[in-house]
Parts: sequence; C-alpha cells; structure tokens
Amino acid sequence: MSITILELIRKRNVLLDGGFGTELIQRGFPQGACPESWNVERPEVVKEIHKSYFDAGSDAVLTNSFGGSAIKLASHHLEKRCYELNRAAAMIANEVKPEGGYVGGSIGPTGKFLKPQGEFTEPEFEEAFAEQARGLADGKADFLLIETQYDLREGLCALRAARKVAAIPVFVTMTYNRVPRGFFTLMGNSADRCIEELEKEGVPAVGANCTLDSSDMADLVKVMREKTRLPLIAQANAGKPSLSGEGEVSYSQGLENYLQHIPKIIENGANVIGGCCGTNPDYIRRMAVLVKKPG
Amino acid sequence: MKKEELLAGIEKAIIEGRKSEAEDLAREAIKAKLDLTEVIEKGYVPGIQKVGDLWEKGDYFLPELITSAECMKAAMAVLQPELDKANIKTKSKGKAVIGTVEGDIHDIGKNLVASMLSANGFDVVDLGADVKIEKFVEKAEETKADFICLSALLTTTMLGQRKAIELLKQRNLYGKFKVLVGGAPASQKWADEIGADGYAENAMLAVKAAKRIMGA
Repeated sequence: MSITILELIRKRNVLLDGGFGTELIQRGFPQGACPESWNVERPEVVKEIHKSYFDAGSDAVLTNSFGGSAIKLASHHLEKRCYELNRAAAMIANEVKPEGGYVGGSIGPTGKFLKPQGEFTEPEFEEAFAEQARGLADGKADFLLIETQYDLREGLCALRAARKVAAIPVFVTMTYNRVPRGFFTLMGNSADRCIEELEKEGVPAVGANCTLDSSDMADLVKVMREKTRLPLIAQANAGKPSLSGEGEVSYSQGLENYLQHIPKIIENGANVIGGCCGTNPDYIRRMAVLVKKPG
Repeated sequence: MKKEELLAGIEKAIIEGRKSEAEDLAREAIKAKLDLTEVIEKGYVPGIQKVGDLWEKGDYFLPELITSAECMKAAMAVLQPELDKANIKTKSKGKAVIGTVEGDIHDIGKNLVASMLSANGFDVVDLGADVKIEKFVEKAEETKADFICLSALLTTTMLGQRKAIELLKQRNLYGKFKVLVGGAPASQKWADEIGADGYAENAMLAVKAAKRIMGA
C-alpha cells in the first residue's frame, strides 16, 4: 500500500461499505447465531461480502467484528474466542483487499451499560475492547473504527483500550437521535460534546453512523462541521426497517431517496462516507459516483 | 411540612432523580400519617409521568429515566411495609410478562420498558433476553398475567412476535393475554398485521399502551 487511509482522506473523499448483517442473512446466516463466529466457520461467505463491497467501489470495508468485544461475545458464550474471531475478521478482509484498498476493524458497543446505569466498570469495558482491538490489529487491519457508540464514556473506553494495544489510526463514530434540541446519543451526549471530547483525545477522524436516515444525517454533518475541522465520517441508515406479512424486509427511504441526500452530506462537510443498515452493494455502487471525485 | 408541600417535594425529588430525598419524604409521609395511596397517586406518580414527558420531549435521556425509575422503586420499598401493615392493597395497574424474543440478545429497550412499567404501577415479570416463545405463554399463565410484551430489535427475530400470537391462538389464549410489541423494526402496521393489541415506539408510549389495553 502506498499511502495510509489518513493520507487518502486528505487527498479526496473516501467511500466505506454498507450494511453487513442483511448480507449475511441473505447467505443463510441463521437467526440468533453469533455473526463473528462465521469469520472462522464460514470465512468464504464473509469474504464474498467484503469482495462485493470492494467491487462496488468501497475504498475501505469494515470487518465482521461489530459485536466482537469480549463482553458482547459473552452473550453467545464465545468470550474466550474474542482474540481469535477478531483476528480472523481482519485476516479474511485482507485476503480480498485490492490494491489501494483498506480494512477497517469494526468495534461496536458492548450492549451493556457502565455503572450506575449498568453493572460494568470502565476497566472492565477497556479490557473487553483491548482483547478485540489486539485481534484486529494482529489480523492486520489498517485502521480501527469504534462505531455506533451511544455512550461517550464507553466510546472513550474503547478508544483508550484500542490505543494501548494497536499502533494504527483509531476513528470513532457515535450514533445520535434527532430531538427538538438537536442531536443526542441515547445517554444524552450532544453531538457538540462528543466532537469536543474526541477531538481533545486526538482522534484523527470522528463522525456518526446508524439511527438517522440520509436526510437527517446531512443536517447532523452540518452541525458537526461547525464544531470541528477534523475529517468527518457519515454512514446513514436507509430509513427505518419494516417487515411485511410475508417476511420481506424493506427500509423506508429506499435507494433513490437515500442517494438524493448524499451530495448534501458531502457538501455539508463529510469526508468519509458509507452506508449503514438497509444499504447494500447496490447503494455503494451508486454512491461511488457521488463520493469519489478528486477534491 | 404541609401535605401539599410534601407532595410537591416528592414530585420534584422523582423528577430530579434524588433517591435519598424520595425515600426521606416517604418516611415523612408515614410519620405524618398521611393517606399513603394519595401520596403515591398525587406525589410519586405525577413525578414519574413528568419524567416520561421530559424524555419524550428530548430533554431527558436514558440515565435520567433510569435514575428516576430507581428513586420510585426505592420510595415504594419504604412505603410497602406500611401499606401491608394497614392492609392497603395498592391497586396494581396490571401484570406484564416481558422479554426479548428468541434469537435476539438486545435488551436495552426491553429493560427500559420494564422499568417504566414498574415505575408506573404495573407488576412486571421480566424474562430477560433470548426468550423462547413458549416461555412467554407459560409464564403468563403461571403468573396470571394480563398482558405480554414482546421486544425484538432485528427484522429476523421480529417474526417471533407473530409466532407468539400464533401460539396463543393455538392454545386458545388469544385475547386472554393481550400482547404489546416493540423494537426498532416494529410498527403499528406490523402490530395490526400479526394481531397484537398494541405497539409502542418507546418506553413512555409503552406505558400509555399498557394503560389503554388495561382499560385505564
């Protein structure tokens, strides 16, 4: 690889990938199983999905390790395999990485709460994330993306842990709800405050993903851009999911409406753009045209 | 302290999430030999309702909601022995069996609904996450519940909500136990389609839906 992901972000807007879970399900992933287990049991399927995103134009794909922290894996009784499953996640993504492509190690939330709302302490969270980050780094991820964080404190735990064990860039995206007063996480952290704290920690790229559709995401990007000059990451959902009586899943925005707001997301200041829930390689293929212009 | 002052203080303690104050005021109400059901109905309940309103408006978030629900629980624990002693039955608003359906380990939303139902005077039997459909029905029978709350975050596990209703029909229990559904992919349309009695987008609306199906 000639340049790092950060150097690429400085040169032009960067395209990430889209939804992963739905792609797995389409390929026979059973309800209730642990997605990360397929990094070892069905690596060819995981690889095929990564490849479909690279082929669609993604500059970087995110590993199949969203729920790969030791605490989240414990709900599947797989916490002892944390390192192994994460290392495999990064290794198999690397196997299909084209020249000039990047692999981002995905680190999602634990699904648990810190005290006093929950049972966990910050050192416990850090330990669970460190094990995951070590696996991803050893599997040769090019960067880590701590994503979909709904608690700034948890995001900071993941950040500290990742930095302790991995010598690659670590980015952070939070997930926000839109309320009348602005954009806030589930725990009530405002977008301003998250950006401020993460910037203070020296995170090289920050942003938001999930929850919001591409229209609301464009507004949020504007809010974030007013707050910081850091590269901004934006990965919107394709609206809200619904299930028909026949079990068909659809997302409220749909492809065309989703794409309509992508230019605004870019114009408002996002530099690293990707999809989230409800998006697939078709979305990414169309987004590539909008995102990957030299700037 | 005058009764009105005490009730206002209780409401405020719940809204602001001050646990020891909520407990102290409960003790004070006991000492002053006040009508404890009135203290609950006019002090604690309005407090937790305002918390819900603030949350719906986007002024409060999950930590405030949980803290206030815990204050409520702590104060009720102080009042309960006195109510028992006086043989006063606080009227339960209804009994709910709640859980996240099989195959789904997401429980943040479910926990929130459970604690808000409980703070609002419902009896709650929480079965946790990844709960077998049969278990919902069996627990509802065993505990003589009024309704069942089914949570699902995933579009795949959401089908479990429909299966639960089918199972109720099979066992001739459809209608005996009302059913509420919730979770990101759920909707009123989905609830109507599968024959659920209600849908709630969030924990506060779940309380409202629960009150509605209990005829309150």
